[in-house]
Amino acid sequence: MAEKPRLKLPKEAKKGDVIEIKTLLAHTMESGQRKDKDGKTIPRKIINKFTCEFNGKPVFSTTLEPAIAANPYMQFYAKVTESGTFKFTWTDDDGSVTTAEEKITVA
Amino acid sequence: MREGILSGNAVALIVAGAVLASGSQALAQATPAKREAPIELKADASPRPWKRYPGWPARDYSKYNTLANLATPPAPKEPRKLTGPITGDAKKGAELVADRARGGSCLACHVMGPAGGANLPGNVAPDLSEIGNAGREDEWLFNYVYDARVYNPETVMPPWGSHGFFDEAEINDIVAFLKTLKSPAVFKTELDNPEKRPVPVEKRDNLDPIENPAMWAVEKAEALFKQRTASGFACATCHNDPKTQFKTWAAAMPKWEPRLNKVLGVEEFITRHAKATTGADWMMETDDNRAMSVYLHFLANGEPIKVDTASAEAKAAIARGVELSKRKVGQLNMACTDCHGIAANKWIRGQWLGEPKGQYDHFPTWRTNLLAIWDIRQRFQWCQVNIRADELPPDAKEYGDLEFYLATQNEGLKLSVPGIRH
Amino acid sequence: MRQLSRRAALLLGASGAALTIAGWNSDAFAAAKDAADDIAKFTGGKTAEKGKVSIELPEIAENGNTVPLSIAVDSPMTADNYVTDVLVVADGNPRPGVATFHFSPLSGKAEASTRIRLATTQNIIAVAKTSKGEFFTAQKLVKVTIGGCGG
Repeated sequence: MAEKPRLKLPKEAKKGDVIEIKTLLAHTMESGQRKDKDGKTIPRKIINKFTCEFNGKPVFSTTLEPAIAANPYMQFYAKVTESGTFKFTWTDDDGSVTTAEEKITVA
Repeated sequence: MREGILSGNAVALIVAGAVLASGSQALAQATPAKREAPIELKADASPRPWKRYPGWPARDYSKYNTLANLATPPAPKEPRKLTGPITGDAKKGAELVADRARGGSCLACHVMGPAGGANLPGNVAPDLSEIGNAGREDEWLFNYVYDARVYNPETVMPPWGSHGFFDEAEINDIVAFLKTLKSPAVFKTELDNPEKRPVPVEKRDNLDPIENPAMWAVEKAEALFKQRTASGFACATCHNDPKTQFKTWAAAMPKWEPRLNKVLGVEEFITRHAKATTGADWMMETDDNRAMSVYLHFLANGEPIKVDTASAEAKAAIARGVELSKRKVGQLNMACTDCHGIAANKWIRGQWLGEPKGQYDHFPTWRTNLLAIWDIRQRFQWCQVNIRADELPPDAKEYGDLEFYLATQNEGLKLSVPGIRH
Repeated sequence: MRQLSRRAALLLGASGAALTIAGWNSDAFAAAKDAADDIAKFTGGKTAEKGKVSIELPEIAENGNTVPLSIAVDSPMTADNYVTDVLVVADGNPRPGVATFHFSPLSGKAEASTRIRLATTQNIIAVAKTSKGEFFTAQKLVKVTIGGCGG
């Protein structure tokens, strides 16, 4: 069940490049709108926030609602001017946080 | 199936294999033509009695044909005689033709003027938007809905009355509605018109793990492949170079298996071979079995499908598969060839019906609407339940024959597994 | 399909393994008004101008459970003129909210893609807010297909 987050971004870039980043986290994104077979509502449990920072500075973030599909996927861009580390975080309704990091070399 | 103990024969084969492997010979275990792979011969490869998957419709279809059993009552010989003109309620009829709970609704196959808001009707069958001008008699209309087999024994139209989807009063209402249909359907958008709706094209990169979560099964299976069971053996004990050894294997499956007197597909082979060698319990339709199947197909990606049809037994199995594909089954009384032959490349409501070619090369596949990997046998099972027939266990010999036939229809297509579909 | 509502059955199309998937099954559908309320809250009552925002969605989605969505806003994305946030709402889901994207000058482009759930055929509306306090909007209709075999 504990699948690692999936990341897709270049390892290297030129200074000033705008790079594409794709991320995906395995998560059912239980909407809180469904009922189980006994008619009871299955409680909501979603990733409600996703953030991307580069060297500690915010690049992109998203507030997610139950209308985001299971295995939340995010594609976005980042302008890179120096080498460093991207840090990605996914915050669950239950308060747990999943993180992942990826380095990039900027020449 | 529970003993989990290897037969003496299987152990001997494993040991022989292990010795060969250590001798750096590329093992031919993966090439059944050269060496018979040990397989479990007694136990079933899926639970008996087979229980339908949780969440699938729980209806009982035992009154109707399955691919293993003939039970459907015979078709009526004569049209029913009406005692007078039909005086149904056209308004009720308009609702009934669009009621999806009644076997998918008439709109699944027919455009019917304003019925259901002309929202994504299908075009498997004639557009009935002007049937009211056709001068058809009430009795003909009634019987065509009640059981069209009295006019055309080979019809694709389900016997709505004989098979209990609608009672006579409801069919009267439907006929009353049909008689009101006198002008072409007006569609809100071009997408609603099945003659203009664009055919879906699958463009996603199915081998990218960010696009296709079924790719995670490849990683899982790589680990399973190396994992030793209580016997001390792993797949890797004998198959020391899977990338090379299985480069073509899955593309030549399924195959006729004389030891079992049936057609063996990849998934059933995994269950039986693992049981007989490492002792791993990888029953069909478990996550481990699906992962191994994805992996073994994945290793043969790019390889054209080519099954061995040389033997008389193989030819006979394919001939049986052809016949099974034409058998009318279930409450909807449909055959594989109804949807994927006569109605192929048409719309059943908003869904495109594919022809058999192209329905095999991507299995096992990811189902985006179910968040699950489906192998071909589960796909067969779902088709059956959808046309309201009882499904068979995944290792049923009838599915083997059908899969064999399907593979021949897909010959030459290159494997691209895991696929990704809606 | 057991306890599933008609709406959910519609959403699920021909797929019956309904209880294992994370869709909706509520009859409490948001009116377009709820979507409008969300937008008004986001803009502080200001009217968003049409333009600059583009929405990419399939015209017809084969299932409503995972519909690819891309939003792009025409913006220089410089430190003194960039898109700060984009609100995305759907006017036919049980609740209108879909996501809010937050950008920075480091984003480089005001573009983002995700995959969304749509209970039925409906409009997707995106509203972009810039660092200068301007609002731009666009909307697009997406048709969610209907399965042939019923429930």
